[in-house]
Amino acid sequence: MSKTKNIYVALAFLAPALLAVVCLRIWPALLSVHESLLAPRATTYSLENYIYIFGDPIFQSSVWTTLFFSIVVNPLQIAISLGLAILLNNKLPGTGFWRTLVLLPVAIPASVSAVVWAAALRPDGLMNALLGLFGLGPQPFLTSPQQALACIILVTSWIGVGYWMTILLAGLQDIPKSLYEAARIDGMNRWQQFINVTLPQLRRPLTFVLVADTVSNFLVFAPVQILTRGGPQRSTNLIMHEIYNRAFAAGDKSSAYAATVVLILLMLTIVAIQFRMMSDKGES
Amino acid sequence: MANIKPSTALHIAIVAATGIVFFLPLWWIFVSAFRPEEDIFRYLSPLGIETFLPTRWTLDHFVTLFESTFARSIFNSLFVAVATVLGGLLVCTLAAFALSVIEFPGRNIVFTIMIVSFLIPFDAIALPLYQIMRGAELQNSYLGLILPGLGNGLAVFLLRQFFLGLPKELREAAMVDGMGWFQVFWRIYLPLSGPAMISAGLIMFIFQWQAYLWPLLIAPATEYKVAAVSIAQFNSAYGVAFGPIMAGAMCISLIPMIILVFFQPYFSNSVASTGSKE
Amino acid sequence: MSIFNKAVRTAALAAVLSSVSMVAVMAADVTLTLISAENDAVVAPVIEAFEASHPGIKVEHQSIPFESMNAAIEARIGGGDSSIDVLFVDSPRVPSMVARGYLKSLEDLRSEIEPLVTPVALDALSVDGTIYTLPLWTSTQMMFYNKDLLDKAGIPHPGADQADRLTYEQILDLGSKAQAAGAKYGFAFEQIDRYYQLQPIFESIGGGSGLTGAGNLTPDITNDKWVEGATFYAKMFEDGIAPRGIPAGQVPPLFASGEVAFLVGGPWRLAGYTSTEGLNFGVAPVPYFANGKPVTPTGSWALAVSPHSAHPEEAMALAKFMTLDPQGAFKTVEANPIPPVNLEAFKLYSAWFAPKFPGVGDDAQKIMGYELRDSAVSRPLSTGFVAFEEVMNRVFGDLRNGADVKSTLEDAQRELNSTLARIQ
Repeated sequence: MSKTKNIYVALAFLAPALLAVVCLRIWPALLSVHESLLAPRATTYSLENYIYIFGDPIFQSSVWTTLFFSIVVNPLQIAISLGLAILLNNKLPGTGFWRTLVLLPVAIPASVSAVVWAAALRPDGLMNALLGLFGLGPQPFLTSPQQALACIILVTSWIGVGYWMTILLAGLQDIPKSLYEAARIDGMNRWQQFINVTLPQLRRPLTFVLVADTVSNFLVFAPVQILTRGGPQRSTNLIMHEIYNRAFAAGDKSSAYAATVVLILLMLTIVAIQFRMMSDKGES
Repeated sequence: MANIKPSTALHIAIVAATGIVFFLPLWWIFVSAFRPEEDIFRYLSPLGIETFLPTRWTLDHFVTLFESTFARSIFNSLFVAVATVLGGLLVCTLAAFALSVIEFPGRNIVFTIMIVSFLIPFDAIALPLYQIMRGAELQNSYLGLILPGLGNGLAVFLLRQFFLGLPKELREAAMVDGMGWFQVFWRIYLPLSGPAMISAGLIMFIFQWQAYLWPLLIAPATEYKVAAVSIAQFNSAYGVAFGPIMAGAMCISLIPMIILVFFQPYFSNSVASTGSKE
Repeated sequence: MSIFNKAVRTAALAAVLSSVSMVAVMAADVTLTLISAENDAVVAPVIEAFEASHPGIKVEHQSIPFESMNAAIEARIGGGDSSIDVLFVDSPRVPSMVARGYLKSLEDLRSEIEPLVTPVALDALSVDGTIYTLPLWTSTQMMFYNKDLLDKAGIPHPGADQADRLTYEQILDLGSKAQAAGAKYGFAFEQIDRYYQLQPIFESIGGGSGLTGAGNLTPDITNDKWVEGATFYAKMFEDGIAPRGIPAGQVPPLFASGEVAFLVGGPWRLAGYTSTEGLNFGVAPVPYFANGKPVTPTGSWALAVSPHSAHPEEAMALAKFMTLDPQGAFKTVEANPIPPVNLEAFKLYSAWFAPKFPGVGDDAQKIMGYELRDSAVSRPLSTGFVAFEEVMNRVFGDLRNGADVKSTLEDAQRELNSTLARIQ
């Protein structure tokens, strides 16, 4: 059967999804690109908005903050998710219930979880009370430019790792038990089994989690908006918060759209690199 | 249960401790829902039994909550999420199947479009999308809420990754037997993809359950208001009514909790046990 | 409901709008949409009263959270949505909404509005001398004090008369005294890092609102008085008299649970605090600077009819009922005790107010009366106000967390220059 003939079959399978994605994502995104090329009060296309945001130290610093955040948060969350998935990949009594508890934070509105963490991270809050039990002195948390971003990482991780764990867990359970038996016969210890069996077998779900987690961390917004409003001293001014601020607080939609386009291009570049890293010869 | 090995007991203990650590902030929400407003932030520090158990109980917040539009909106949220999961699974599995099993020119382009679609920050395109949807007269309708959830690039990506892991021989053998593409999809791939479908369904469910800005714009009428928007009204310019918000958050998280506990067994019922994996 | 049906209805409405006489016929069954940032319960009494006196018109309220109001207005009014009829508008946002064409001139109502409001209030409804909104609510502040905490520290209860007004310096002194006697915090603002409540610090000390020039589009937050005010503000957190790191929304509960000695807050707090078990409190006027003048914040929501309303006649009837009709205007504050702008409604409100809050009602009423008359200063009217407010809220957040005063203000001044230039 020729590849060209397949195209009609493939299109039939793809039509509903393509239609939805193109009309409800790509098309509005192109409208944003259009708006981003119109300077305030201008009627002809120009790159003025882009020049403006790239010349703006606040936008620049939000891009650097976002990149720094990504570099820390993604490996951290993936490592924790994988660790949790391995820990919870068992048939012990009650495991299903505990898995649900780990996953649950993702199900409550981000606006509410932020309220809880705002209370927990208050200088007189639960977190410091907890540290006190271990003899540690009170920390400034969200009031400190040095610690606030770490707090955002903590909160987004609490929300997200259960979610990624669930997907990795499904991947772990797809690994045939026979591979581990063979590895044991070869005399591999637990760690060697993890490196030689688990990781290669998890490549596809891991690719998914890596890409999806990276994207979702680029788009973190609600915790920043509610917990820090980008502060103290812009230390948590992630790019989505910057975009929202420009669009709805500063009332400067055209530069907000330009920033959105920059963000999408940035993510696209990083995701392309990730695909290249994670691919093997067998996959196109 | 008398003969549990110490290593197993330790494992169970670690698992349980992990679950509890993740659940603690939620527990604090649940407890706050039953406290008088002025007690919610009273026992944060130092830690004590009263931090995690109310000293005075009240159901007032639930009364306030259900006197508002909340009951209707929880139904709306559930309806929208379930409709999105059902419709979205159909749409996305078909697409993922084409992107992983059928070989055709331009496959990489279509896949790239799917990837780009979930890179686009949904909230950042809410205004242009609103114009499009309003042009189609879809404001204040279930369709306006459900449609953006159906074509989920992330779910397509997840399902594609899963389908790629199924051996090619499955398809080839079936086609030798004279099956068409749709039969291969329906009779071979679909029955094998239970756990992947659950994960993909979860992605779509969460997308709708967490949605806030979009529902606020497209469906603010009481009839179609979703739960997250409904509880946000307790956050007014004149202060935050934490009690009803906590009560609402508790209701909002209990529903997925029940659904998830119900679906947990299916996560482990994977293809590995069917022996069909590559 | 099919798309076809809606299209037909839209066409029908368009036809109806072209003929005023037919609007009256349609009035038989019209549903109006009212949007606000209030809980449904706040507007329920006025909607009920309106529906009773206007048979055939139903009102549906849509509550939009304050934080999302800009986004919602931008999308819906900006997008020409006809599904909003009447909307609450935050007064300082009026100029930018007018600049975007979101509000219609209401000049033809001038003769009806003028006799019902003070000249200051009329200004807040207008942009460049043209009226765009209807007078709904205003606001003022008072200082709540916890009697038990004061007694413990041997501090006499401050009086409620204008002559009894304390200075900020005295309050911080008394605050730390109360702390020494067991209070967790001495003094706090309810909206602890929001411009609305903090503007009076700078106005009182003589630093101005922070915006000057034509159209209030030039930032002016680095003058000596602003630095002085900001230093004072930062110091009360530095010294631990005011709570650092507690989110603004969680500050009012601090007073309710008896952890703060003095709290500057709005009259909307009275309902919650009087019903709090074990909280024994009084009210006094907002402090001022010894070498400055007394200043209190004011302004609140105004009411507007959407230019895209599909039922402009009925929408105007509702808007007028809620603002110009004294009974109607009074109904809007029954469930949220904030002063109505309408002077006739204010009389009804005052008479109703004092007995409603036994123990503090009389004092609170007295304070509101003279503050609204003598010390109220509006937020600056500017198309750039929203941007300005956002930046200032961030500045206050940073100062509160201990950032350097001078460099923070200078940095914000630069940011404002750049942002406001895009708006001009």
